[in-house]
Amino acid sequence: MTETVAVLGTFQTPFRTRHLDHTFAEQAQLAAVGAMNDAGMTPDDVDAIIFSLAPSHFMGVADADRWSLDYVFGAGKPVMRVHTGGATGGSAVQAGYNLIRSGLYRSVMIVGAERIAETPDAQKVLNLIFDQFYERDMPLSTNTTVALWATAYLHRHGFTQEDMARVVVRARRNALKNPNAHLKGDVTIEEVMASPMISYPLKLFDICPRSSGSAAMILGNMDMAKSFSTRPAFINGAASRTTTYWLGDRMTPSTDSEYFDCKIMEQVGQFALRNARITDPLNQIQVTEFYDPYSIMTPIQLEQLGFCAPGTAYRLEREGYWNVEGGAVAVNPSGGTLCTNPIAVTGLVRAIDAANQIMRKAGTMQVPGVKNAVSSSVGGIAQFYNCTVFGDEPRGH
Amino acid sequence: MNIYVLGVALHPAVGNERTMRLEEMAYHTARSALDHAGISRKQLDSLTIGACDELDGRPISSMLMSAPAGAYNIDEIKVTDSGASALCLAYARFLSGESELGMVVSWCKSSKTNPESVMLLRGDPFYTRPLGVGTAVSDALFAQAVGEEYGVTEQEVNERVVSAFRKAAGNERGMRHPVPDEASLVASPLDATPLRAAQRAPYTDGAAALVLATDTFLDANPECHPLARLSGVGWASDSYRLEAKRLRAMNSARAAWQTALSRAGLKDADDLDVIELDSQTGYHEAAYVRAFGIKKQDAVSPSGGPFAQNPYFCTGLVNAVEAVLQVSNQAGAVQRDGVRRAAAHGCHGCAQQGNVVMVFEAAQRGGQ
Repeated sequence: MTETVAVLGTFQTPFRTRHLDHTFAEQAQLAAVGAMNDAGMTPDDVDAIIFSLAPSHFMGVADADRWSLDYVFGAGKPVMRVHTGGATGGSAVQAGYNLIRSGLYRSVMIVGAERIAETPDAQKVLNLIFDQFYERDMPLSTNTTVALWATAYLHRHGFTQEDMARVVVRARRNALKNPNAHLKGDVTIEEVMASPMISYPLKLFDICPRSSGSAAMILGNMDMAKSFSTRPAFINGAASRTTTYWLGDRMTPSTDSEYFDCKIMEQVGQFALRNARITDPLNQIQVTEFYDPYSIMTPIQLEQLGFCAPGTAYRLEREGYWNVEGGAVAVNPSGGTLCTNPIAVTGLVRAIDAANQIMRKAGTMQVPGVKNAVSSSVGGIAQFYNCTVFGDEPRGH
Repeated sequence: MNIYVLGVALHPAVGNERTMRLEEMAYHTARSALDHAGISRKQLDSLTIGACDELDGRPISSMLMSAPAGAYNIDEIKVTDSGASALCLAYARFLSGESELGMVVSWCKSSKTNPESVMLLRGDPFYTRPLGVGTAVSDALFAQAVGEEYGVTEQEVNERVVSAFRKAAGNERGMRHPVPDEASLVASPLDATPLRAAQRAPYTDGAAALVLATDTFLDANPECHPLARLSGVGWASDSYRLEAKRLRAMNSARAAWQTALSRAGLKDADDLDVIELDSQTGYHEAAYVRAFGIKKQDAVSPSGGPFAQNPYFCTGLVNAVEAVLQVSNQAGAVQRDGVRRAAAHGCHGCAQQGNVVMVFEAAQRGGQ
């Protein structure tokens, strides 16, 4: 017998390049206190903690979760840190979900912080994730590898850089309603096209910012939901997959996890959506909060999760299908990762923004009538993919 | 739901693995565990990794390491606290219905990345790091604290260290270090008062893997025979501060111990036949024996614990493998008679900020 898992409280700080007014541990505490306040809980109401922290190389304190332990009220509690690169926040939510669903704990707080701007150039750190014998000297980085991905996708499906730019325009417009977003504004396709080329075809505006801040989410079982929430969001599906490290192995005709169309997303999506009894994503899901640090990653997730056919998402973008107002599905009403990317907690923030829509706590970003929302996270050059499906009532399992 | 161990493997103990890269160590260990379980990699539906970027020497080390460890197109997650912590999350993943057949893998090439340097980098940049508090100093603070709390003498510590080395010498899966005499321990240099160099378990390179399965999998695969049942786990963390009150209280160790025993339906240490402790020094063994209320001294670490092999990050998971081997009567020269239940302990962080306890029982399934 497994337990129903509900979201009871959430919190995120405003995100910007630096938070000079707080240390890393204090940032984590802000999020922990915020989520407990949101749920009406005290530290004693939290049974266990999952710390969401990606590479600590960015900020220079190894395993900084240990330093933060007292700040997030973890002393004496079961605490564990999860780290799957960019997918960390989503994996952390899944781990918290496991702790509740298994019946081991009544309530779990997922909390983390990011301070990526402590390093002058994150891309130099991210170069170190690649193989030291073959790939580092090329030099591969997240920008250059996603540029390869974008080039192939545009060529394969006949789209242009302007189609990529249209995603940025929508994302920054959405972010205008998000008080925590790092980048926001009414930018035009022409302005995106005129931004500096970073790695063809990715220009500066096609790429997420380096964001700092913190976030937390509190999960609970049904008993805790009855005590602490009048309108919880329920986690009805959660899944992850890991594919091969080697990009070349994902580009061969016989590969079973194709890189450019990112088939790993389809596998995860099918599993998580099936668990949540979602058979028609376009008509059953009202909000997505995708992990999309590059403008190429939004259409691919829409296609692979079954919102539209492969190679059509950019065309539908032109027709306004993914707009918050008047669209078929509100895609990233928060502005998504293109506007805010605090790597350690980005997947967690995606989950928070999706859950808040169910809980009617999304403020000015609120989309009316949300019954199901999906969030995702991506790590390790799309090597790790995670998907969580939230609903307004327990469905599926 | 019951969770069983189908297969286990350890990398052969070695002080400095020069013939294999880290990913090769993980691959061979995972492969051996799968073979021990009699299953193929394609049957796995989950992998839980215990690994530390800083000790592995690269950011997001699971990018490179996940496939050698067995993750290809399956649900994989990485825990960074310790190998034993990964087993705890795997336990939750199974109980939540997420997995029916999975593996837990952890590794540490201590010779490649100096653990002391990593521990120094764990210091917060304002107070701890400028003081140079790493493994040696924090373990020494712990030794001072428990020495005063429990009246642990240096003579007892030395007796425990010699005993641990002697047990380890009989363990074919260990390093078989020479057994020192007490005089040589006393003569060894002080690393940090009161801790002497020879009272500390030497670091080694290693890896450990366990294949886990549910009743559902075993019902569908009657050809697979479990070695043990994972009957309970517990984990907890202490404050980051290295104050005497925290070090003396050993709260996280006690909480992990009590939680694991409670989940296993056990009352106290007398219900266990073997207890494999992660005793990084003789002081640690003296402290844990008292904190856990262990009266049967011959039940303590028949493998020799970290004094047999000590791949720092995954020593707790090595202890788990040793515990499984004991309850399945496969522990070889260090096998104890009639072992029905065994606990394995792991700790992590400066002065054991975190503790993990895992309880295994002899498999009682289908008449086996």
